Amino acid sequence: MANDYKETIEKVKSNLIEDISKCSTVKELELLDIKYLGRQGEVNKLFKSLPIKENPLIGKEINELKNICSKLISEMITHLLNQPSQDSFDVTIPGNRLPAGSLHLISQAISDIETIFDKLGFTRRRYREVESDWYYAEGLNIPKDHPARDDQETFYLSDDVVLTAHTSNGQLREMERVKTPPIKMINIGKTYRRQADASHNAVFHQFEGLLVDKNINITNLIGVMDYFVKAYFGQDRTIRLRPHHFQFTEPSFEIDISCGLCHGTGILNEKPCKVCKSGWLELGGAGMVHPTVLKNGGLDPKIYSGFAFGWGVERVLMMKSGLNLPDLRLLYTDDLRFLKQF
Amino acid sequence: MDIKITDKALRFFLDSPIKPVDLAQTISLCGPTFDRLHQLDDDYLYEIEVITNRIDTASAQGVARDSVAILKQQGIKAELKNDPYQEKIELYTHLPHTFHFDIADQEIVPRFTAISLENIEVKDSPKSTQDLLTACGERPINNIVDITNELTLLYGMPCHIFDLDKLGAQKLIIRQSRSGEKITTLDGQTNDLKEGDIVIEDGAGRLVDLCGIMGGSVAETDKHTKNILLIVPVYHPVNIRKTSLRLQKRTLASQIYEKQPDTELCLPVLTQAIKLFQERAKAHVSSSVFDSSPSIAPAKTIELDTEWANRLIGQNIPVDNYVSILKNLGFSIKNKSSQGILCTVPSWRKYDINIQEDLVEEVARVYGYSKLPSVLPQVNLAPEPKEPLLKTETDIKTFLSHRGFNEIFNHSLVSESLISKTELDKNDHLKLINALSTDLQFLRTSLVPSLLQNIKNNQGKSEEPFFIYELSNVYQKNSDKLANELSKLAIATTVDILDTKGYVELLLKNLNVTKYRYISVTDLPPYFLPEHTSVIKHQGHTLGFLGHIKPSILREIGITSNPVIVEIDTQTLSDLRSPNKIYTPISEFPELLEDMTIESTEKVGEIIAKITSVSHLVKDVQYLTSYQNKHSFRIIFSSLLNNLSQKEIAGIKEEISSLFV
Repeated sequence: MANDYKETIEKVKSNLIEDISKCSTVKELELLDIKYLGRQGEVNKLFKSLPIKENPLIGKEINELKNICSKLISEMITHLLNQPSQDSFDVTIPGNRLPAGSLHLISQAISDIETIFDKLGFTRRRYREVESDWYYAEGLNIPKDHPARDDQETFYLSDDVVLTAHTSNGQLREMERVKTPPIKMINIGKTYRRQADASHNAVFHQFEGLLVDKNINITNLIGVMDYFVKAYFGQDRTIRLRPHHFQFTEPSFEIDISCGLCHGTGILNEKPCKVCKSGWLELGGAGMVHPTVLKNGGLDPKIYSGFAFGWGVERVLMMKSGLNLPDLRLLYTDDLRFLKQF
Repeated sequence: MDIKITDKALRFFLDSPIKPVDLAQTISLCGPTFDRLHQLDDDYLYEIEVITNRIDTASAQGVARDSVAILKQQGIKAELKNDPYQEKIELYTHLPHTFHFDIADQEIVPRFTAISLENIEVKDSPKSTQDLLTACGERPINNIVDITNELTLLYGMPCHIFDLDKLGAQKLIIRQSRSGEKITTLDGQTNDLKEGDIVIEDGAGRLVDLCGIMGGSVAETDKHTKNILLIVPVYHPVNIRKTSLRLQKRTLASQIYEKQPDTELCLPVLTQAIKLFQERAKAHVSSSVFDSSPSIAPAKTIELDTEWANRLIGQNIPVDNYVSILKNLGFSIKNKSSQGILCTVPSWRKYDINIQEDLVEEVARVYGYSKLPSVLPQVNLAPEPKEPLLKTETDIKTFLSHRGFNEIFNHSLVSESLISKTELDKNDHLKLINALSTDLQFLRTSLVPSLLQNIKNNQGKSEEPFFIYELSNVYQKNSDKLANELSKLAIATTVDILDTKGYVELLLKNLNVTKYRYISVTDLPPYFLPEHTSVIKHQGHTLGFLGHIKPSILREIGITSNPVIVEIDTQTLSDLRSPNKIYTPISEFPELLEDMTIESTEKVGEIIAKITSVSHLVKDVQYLTSYQNKHSFRIIFSSLLNNLSQKEIAGIKEEISSLFV
């Protein structure tokens, strides 16, 4: 009788060993864990069936059994988990196709431009696309009958209302809004031109920078242009200014950037570079705000000076190396096979 | 405007050892752009981009003068020679008048000079002249016509010759044309004239010149011509521009006249012309010089504060350098004080130099923009938040594109046909008065028609489903003359309407807009199918619409699927965004889920609203399915304070049920 309990305990252990030998999955072993070590499990049952109060050794041995069972099951689980996987899985199968969204290239460019100027403290604005003649031309020092008017190839809604061909109307509107400089604006908007060919679309976008404060000079214009060009096109690009004429700036400049292919030399592999004219690419116009425009915007040109520039979003996007778009009008296609590429 | 001149022609005025390649590069950065340089047999050809307000540089002598100033500033030897303004002018006052001009309107002819020449010999031009003309893209004709063309290239001042014997020269009238008149020009074309073209009528009542554009064929010179009338005029720029644009005759002469050449250059060029006719055609002067306005207008003077100018340039350029640059450009300078100089504008710059800033440009460009440093401005400006609408637009685009939607940029302009196909009213649209084509004629009032077109265009090309959107302005007529420009978002999908709603709801959640409801209404944009479309309302505000399009419109456009269209007012959405995101405490106690089926004739949206309002312990109501009037929901109960008991839940469920009996 004294050693009967040992047999009972031994029996539980041998049952477990037999049960384990029949298991081939972790799941089955986890069930065994419940069967033997659960609250109502085989081991706990021993505490009730054996006279543990009479012989304290029994309790001790049951606890040992508990440890052994736990160890046996967990060893077997570890063993199974370490077996090589049996199911065949081709790891080279590609993932499921999920809807591929895209932000339009123009939106991406606008966002890039906005971010660069934001760092310089220029706040983004958007002004009217349908505009009166005053803000669009007359107030910008372009009188009626001036040749500059038909050069702009403007769409008209009436004799006095246009679809803007440039974003410079934002200059006067921003001056009127701010009233007292400093003004640091980057006005990005839709513009329209009565023209359509490989490098022009009737609808396009421009970004117009305007900075007005006391003592703003040409070197500041160069500083900001240079910063933009290096940030957008790359550190290795440089700018140059050429004299030009615009009615709303004086002095006026044409800004060129060094060609990304031939680096401003005009020569590539001992032949003339095909991308640029003699090493430089025309970026767009800029200039010091004309005193008449400052006056028309309600500012005193004796106190304030400033610079402005208005460049094409699509133009800088097309000029960014690597994109390889053959035709600017592609940007306005609705073909998802194009849009999903970006 | 682009002109071509040869290096030889330029060197007639420019004395400098600089090589053509270097010259082109140096001048391009400080003056007119020498776009391209071509090597000829024994010469070079420059293609020069003339800056619009610098018509004085549309000639060899003008480019030479600018070059001298630029080269000298850079320490390169250069002098101007054969300056026409320095030549002695002979007026032949001792000779009689052989013709008579009557200028009816001085305004349209600011200057008019003329002379007659006799006993000329018509033959070929010397080779150098023929080479020059050929290189510059003109055809050599004979010595007398070639002289006029050569002078235009050299001096930038057009002139014209008539066969004097073919003219009724005793009564030549320069006047504006009358509507209905016709003139046959040297190119053989007959031109219908309108009021405002400038013409010369001869004594026989014939039109003999379409002034500033092209000569008339009536008095054309030929190889038998013996006596000629030579004119060197200046016409009003606006008249010339209008005529040449209307008749599509963009001759070199018209391009020069529309940009106001120097009236003081007429006599010098007339003088050069006489000299060449004498040399090359053995001509004899047969009349005195006719000059419509011999008095010289007083020159303009501008005072320049060089300290102020240096502040605007951002560089300390010495006063002496201001003086040398301006002098080399032909200005005469009087030093007024230590920093102020008084500048007298030369006649050939009288239209483009008006204010101090114009002088700053002259000095800064010749000094060299490349010598100016790059300096970022220091401006004391408080940081400004991004405009809320622009921020919302960016956030929407970012969200949708990351969620699998493709952004499209459509034209703001649409056709009448698209407007009528989508049952919109043409009269609500702003219309261009000078559209390029009927496809792009009206400013759109909605993004949806273009988006439907996009679906149609992509059918069969790309695999469906489509997830596309556009975010752009639309244009509404306004009582004042300008338009209301309203920012809108339109989304189109070819998936289930509830999936589409799911995306919209995620978008609104992402933008922190809650408490909106779908309401079934009949007042919708005309293309929506009312039975399948809801308005998205946020308290009193209409955020937008979501639904299907009328089948008839889909058929009309040619769409084979049944797309779901969402139209959202971006401004309203932006206004409704809560600026701050607020933390809602998470309960420590487990949530309880209960499914309930409610039988009701009410709309599901109403039922959900009612269930939600029953108790604050109802945390969420999820719609599961419907069968006829029976709708199943999963209701999530939660409390921050304690474990919910079955009894509490049962009480709430009973209350819910009681609402729908």
